[in-house]
Amino acid sequence: MRFLIAAASLFATGAALAQVPMPAPAQAKPVLITGATLHVGNGTVVPNAALAFDKGRLTYAGPAAGFTQDKSSFETIDATGQQLYPGLILPNTTLGLTEIEAIRATVDEEEVGTRNPNVRALIAYNTDSDILPTVRTNGVLLAQPTPRGGLLAGQSSVVQLDAWNWQDAVVRADDGQHLTWPAMVFRNNPNEDASALDKRQKAREEQLRDLEQLFGEANAYRQLPAGRKENLRLSSLAGIFDGSKTLYLHADYGKEIIEAVRFARRLGVQKLAVVGARDAWMALDFLKQNDVSVVVSRIHALPRRDADDYDQPYKLPAQLQAAGVRFCLDYQGDQETAGSRNLAFIAGTAVNFGLTKEQALTAVTLTTAQIMGIDKDYGSLETGKSATFVLSKGDLLDMRTNAVTRAFIDGRSISLESKQTYLEKKFRGKYGL
Amino acid sequence: MKNHTKKGMATALLAVAGSAAWAQPGTFPRNGVYDQRPGTFAFTHATLYTDYQTKISDGTLLVRDGKVVATGPAASVKIPAGAVVQDVAGKFIYPGLVDVFTSYGVPDAPAAARSRRAGPQFESQKTGAYSWNQAVHPEVNAAELFKINNDQATAYRALGFGAVLTQPADGIMRGTATLVSLNTNRREQEVMLLERAAAGLSFDKGSSTQDYPGSLMGSIALLRQTYLDAQWNQRNPARERNLSLQALSQQKALPAIFQVNDKLSALRADKLGDEAGQQYIIKGRGDEYQRLDDLKKTGATFVVPLNFPEAYDVADVYDALRIPLEDLKHWELAPANAARLSQAGVPFVLTAADLKDKKKFLPNLRKAAQYGLSETAALRALTETPARLLRAQDRIGALKPGMEANFIVCSAHFLADDNVLLDNWVQGERYQLSTVPADYRGVYKFSLTSAEKILKNEFYIGADMSMLIQGKPEAPELKIVPTVGDTIKGSVAVTSELATIVFNFSDKQKGKGAKSAEVPKAPSSAPSPAEGSVRLSGFYTQEGRVFQGDGLLADGTPVKWRAVRQEEATRAARRDSAKVVPLPVLGNVIFPFAAYGRAALPSQQPTLIKNATVWTSEAAGKLEATDVLLENGKITRIGKNLALPKGGRSIDGTGKHLAPGIIDEHSHLAISGGVNEGTQAVTSEVRIGDVVDNEDVGIYRDLAGGVVAAQLLHGSANPIGGQSALVKLRWGATPEDMKIVGAPGFIKFALGENVKQSNWGELNVLRFPQTRMGTEQVFVDAFTRAREYEQEWKAWNKLSKGKQKAAEAPRHDLELEALVEILNKQRFITCHSYVQSEINMLMGVADRMGFQVNTFTHILEGYKVADKMKAHGANASTFSDWWAYKNEVKDAIPYNAAIMTRAGLNVAINSDDAEMSRRLNQEAAKTVKYGGLSEEEALRLVTINPAKMLHLDAHMGSIKEGKDADVVLWSENPLSIYAHPEYTFVDGREMFSLTADAALRADIKQERQRLVQAMLAARKGGAPTQAAPGKAQGLWHCDTLGQEKEAAQ
Repeated sequence: MRFLIAAASLFATGAALAQVPMPAPAQAKPVLITGATLHVGNGTVVPNAALAFDKGRLTYAGPAAGFTQDKSSFETIDATGQQLYPGLILPNTTLGLTEIEAIRATVDEEEVGTRNPNVRALIAYNTDSDILPTVRTNGVLLAQPTPRGGLLAGQSSVVQLDAWNWQDAVVRADDGQHLTWPAMVFRNNPNEDASALDKRQKAREEQLRDLEQLFGEANAYRQLPAGRKENLRLSSLAGIFDGSKTLYLHADYGKEIIEAVRFARRLGVQKLAVVGARDAWMALDFLKQNDVSVVVSRIHALPRRDADDYDQPYKLPAQLQAAGVRFCLDYQGDQETAGSRNLAFIAGTAVNFGLTKEQALTAVTLTTAQIMGIDKDYGSLETGKSATFVLSKGDLLDMRTNAVTRAFIDGRSISLESKQTYLEKKFRGKYGL
Repeated sequence: MKNHTKKGMATALLAVAGSAAWAQPGTFPRNGVYDQRPGTFAFTHATLYTDYQTKISDGTLLVRDGKVVATGPAASVKIPAGAVVQDVAGKFIYPGLVDVFTSYGVPDAPAAARSRRAGPQFESQKTGAYSWNQAVHPEVNAAELFKINNDQATAYRALGFGAVLTQPADGIMRGTATLVSLNTNRREQEVMLLERAAAGLSFDKGSSTQDYPGSLMGSIALLRQTYLDAQWNQRNPARERNLSLQALSQQKALPAIFQVNDKLSALRADKLGDEAGQQYIIKGRGDEYQRLDDLKKTGATFVVPLNFPEAYDVADVYDALRIPLEDLKHWELAPANAARLSQAGVPFVLTAADLKDKKKFLPNLRKAAQYGLSETAALRALTETPARLLRAQDRIGALKPGMEANFIVCSAHFLADDNVLLDNWVQGERYQLSTVPADYRGVYKFSLTSAEKILKNEFYIGADMSMLIQGKPEAPELKIVPTVGDTIKGSVAVTSELATIVFNFSDKQKGKGAKSAEVPKAPSSAPSPAEGSVRLSGFYTQEGRVFQGDGLLADGTPVKWRAVRQEEATRAARRDSAKVVPLPVLGNVIFPFAAYGRAALPSQQPTLIKNATVWTSEAAGKLEATDVLLENGKITRIGKNLALPKGGRSIDGTGKHLAPGIIDEHSHLAISGGVNEGTQAVTSEVRIGDVVDNEDVGIYRDLAGGVVAAQLLHGSANPIGGQSALVKLRWGATPEDMKIVGAPGFIKFALGENVKQSNWGELNVLRFPQTRMGTEQVFVDAFTRAREYEQEWKAWNKLSKGKQKAAEAPRHDLELEALVEILNKQRFITCHSYVQSEINMLMGVADRMGFQVNTFTHILEGYKVADKMKAHGANASTFSDWWAYKNEVKDAIPYNAAIMTRAGLNVAINSDDAEMSRRLNQEAAKTVKYGGLSEEEALRLVTINPAKMLHLDAHMGSIKEGKDADVVLWSENPLSIYAHPEYTFVDGREMFSLTADAALRADIKQERQRLVQAMLAARKGGAPTQAAPGKAQGLWHCDTLGQEKEAAQ
């Protein structure tokens, strides 16, 4: 009987639950969270902390003992025994751009052609994706939807993951251009002869010449006075030369990283970051000396060469940390859209192979925010910054203990339900579990 | 026929008629005057090898009419009147070489013509009463295709070959090869020695455009079935007049040469041969040394190419890292292959096949000799053994009366550095290979002397100059090092009789000017002997290696000249031969022959793991501070304060966690040549067990992730896929030894988008089924046929022997036999499945047809039908949190495993992915987060539960006394992201540990460095190099088609 009632009540609310939950309304009154262990995101851990926020901004973040405001004006959440983290930030992702990989109609991540710097991911970002709620529930609250493919894939933006539409979601519009560095030419097929290699090499050189030409002209074009004949490609590239946009150089091989960075710097690119960087261990000194930021692609990956250390991908973050290179972690790779809910565990693996827990947390929060240029507001839990954070019963970076109980974006308490939690309840109901 | 063709034919006829044809005219008319000659030749005073090992020092060889008449010491052979006598004193005569693997004079295999853009091709394009499969054409008779080819014959003769076996290298069953001599003066009818000398086979379907087989295992299955079909056809010829099967039956008694592309496929071919009652001769790749002992056990004779890789370009530190260790090592070891085969007593023959540049054959053979191959063994592998293999030892391969007069005349010992092949006689006819009397390249002591005293003190006169002859024997380059001053270049020409040398002392002034001051200025009135060219004429004597003769200086002064070769200096200066005479120092052969391979399997030393937290995956649960003893591959004791047996070692497990090794129920690692035979809807005849790849580095990486065993599954491209292999990750063992002894048979089934080809593009819309509706019918049809098949055989087996003789025997159908095994619970199904409708469908079909679905794998909507699965008795093997990658997984939820567990199913978490398989403990841990399983329950999802569903739980999957010692010592709670294996034991062998891994890393680094230095040295020494190859890092997925792996991230 109990089973029947449970099932009936589920179905009554089912229609609503089957949808992506309603975005949370703006923060109505000040909130105070007490008793949690605060992981600031900058390496600091505060046991028994207090976190207060109003109108979406943190008014206090520190030891409970230091909180002196009148508690009665706050809605208080007792989070004793819980862990409090900045909302994780997922850089370089197809989240919101792709729903179901195999269905072309649901994929909006790669435009045709190789030079699309004018293309903007933001406008394709789908706030109604069924995937978004499943990512939030593991702690990811911000993301950088990023176009894929081509040479110049287009522009990414930074969004928060609880919104009615993309205009609502945007945190930083069109923050960067994405350049996939042409891969160096190697003989990948033992039967490929020297002339075929040579042909590919020439094609690559041609591509780089074209790119150099394009950058040169774009840099000159932006200096033209108003009334110039509009060229969407050239004008969209202006930002990487005036410093308003970051150029994300997607390159994995050590020598490609060095080549790409030198190329970009030589042509006057102001801000850049290397994305992918799976062989960054080959270029640690270079990255450090040239103050290059790195977005390390999913370290749950196989070593790139048979003889590489089995844990080479896992230990790359620790190698970058030891070398003093600024880096953050992403989830690019197979099945990245739905899989990106595992970002926290990427950081966990980096701990298993050499980082401290707080260093790993920084690599999915504050450093990511710094690289994207949103660290004034996001990435760490410090007074004055956005109240964007999660509460977890245990260590967020370990799937064994990751259990998000509450999540806030800009002070808004967002829903932790999803299509998947709905289906879970529905079928637990079926079996009376 | 067009005119120019006619003309061509006429020319060819003239060429034959115009040659010194002493042979009997045979059936052919002649145009013009007959030119039959006696054709009797006697070679006297030779060092005569009548076979590879029998030497006659002052021997006579007498041939007549294309055949050997007599051989023996000079005294014993009477030279008949009318013989042309050649005194070949100082020269060496050997039997003509034989190559058993060529495509001489037969059409090249056409490239597979079908474009990838075309849709599927289910049937053969070869019309007629032939095999259903386009790659199976045993009826092809190379003898019918053979045409004498002058260019090809010339190239082979230049290497010393006199006879070759030839066949188009195309297809899986290639038909019969023909043995021909390389005589090009005669006609096809006369040079053909054996019309059908051998059968040819391979795993490569070559130019066949038909889809099946689309994988290596498909090729093997096709061969296996074809042998059975031939037997059946022979027994019941009336049922099918099948010319291919008839031909196959007829050639069963012939030697069969099986071409493979590596040592593993050599083992595969031999195993297939054992089943078919055939001992194949195996044409390998030249990597046999990498599995010498196992290949020796096959009993096969190997046909071994001398195709040694060039050194790689390793100048760049990082680019060099891309070259797989096995390629670096193979570069070093390939020249030692033949020597090692020889030393191990593995019978082999050598072939010039696989060499892009055939001219490298002899230099490479000499290189093989430097690496330890004796001249006798080399000669044997090129004469006696191939002749015997082809059962033509009475005609070729030696020089005995009555045999073909195929022999080579050499200037020196066959494998001597300076040997020049002078003549190659084929069927009694001479083909001159070199007008050069010998290889006279080298460093000479050079003297110019003159009777005219005036010159005595001139710098260019004297006895202590040097002369260097370099380059090729046919195109020599000359350098003179005068008593004073720089080396100068000149020219030298040597023919069989005469030598001519020209150089100019003043040439050096144009080069380095440093010593030009030493050149005396000549008076302007008369030409100076120092300016202008010196011309020397004379001759070369092989004996003593001396040039001598007369000449004129530039001013007309007559001189005598003499150049005596300095043997030691010559050897040192040789660029094309090793400077070191002793055997090169070579790296170890490791097992597997890949990075992280070892010289031998780790031992089963008794191991006591002390004071660990032991996760038993048994009713005993988690035991704190407990010892576990591993002995002889088993877990022998679990308890406190256990004593360490003699000879054992103990590992401190304090603060660590010992757990059963992870078993991956769904893996595509360690598979060669394709994971899907998805070219037909039902391919239950193919077997992953045929194509286990023990060298996949994924095995080692999985061990580092705590995995000890896996089910290697066929892909999901068709409803009824292939049979699985259940293996332990015995890194370093042979593919056969990786298989779990006594494991039951499994097979892959699949449902949904993959089998209906939803995501395969617009061309793949023809293969049935294209819907879930059709998928059901595939199963119903297959099992209906299987039932009928079983009945047919049962009825047959009941017949008396006499009645069986009279009746028509049923045909063995390996596809249906696998299904009959399912019906009889001898084989178990792992079915790829996603949505509930199809899961219910298959259980329904199973219930109706009388079989059970052992496991639904993926089963991402299992949570919707867990009750029905429970009723059916199915296991569930799923992913922790995959979803949304295709339409049929849009309802997948991470709570699936927990709900199914709670509903009473036996549930596992699998990988289907070479990366995730390294972290299956983490994937299991997610079920604690999603759905609230206990930690012990979660760990069971990757240990005892998969063992149960694979029917291996009697001896695997948990920590229990008596079970296999497959355990992992984790640094932490194994469900934590912070845990990693410190030790992984398989059968009590330490297959992975952090310390052993560190040692292997160091070994790899050191070995790489050594080989890179060796390559740089080789390059400096003038060896050609090739661009560094990257190993196309690839992975198999469920839906990977064809034989190429998918690019990894």
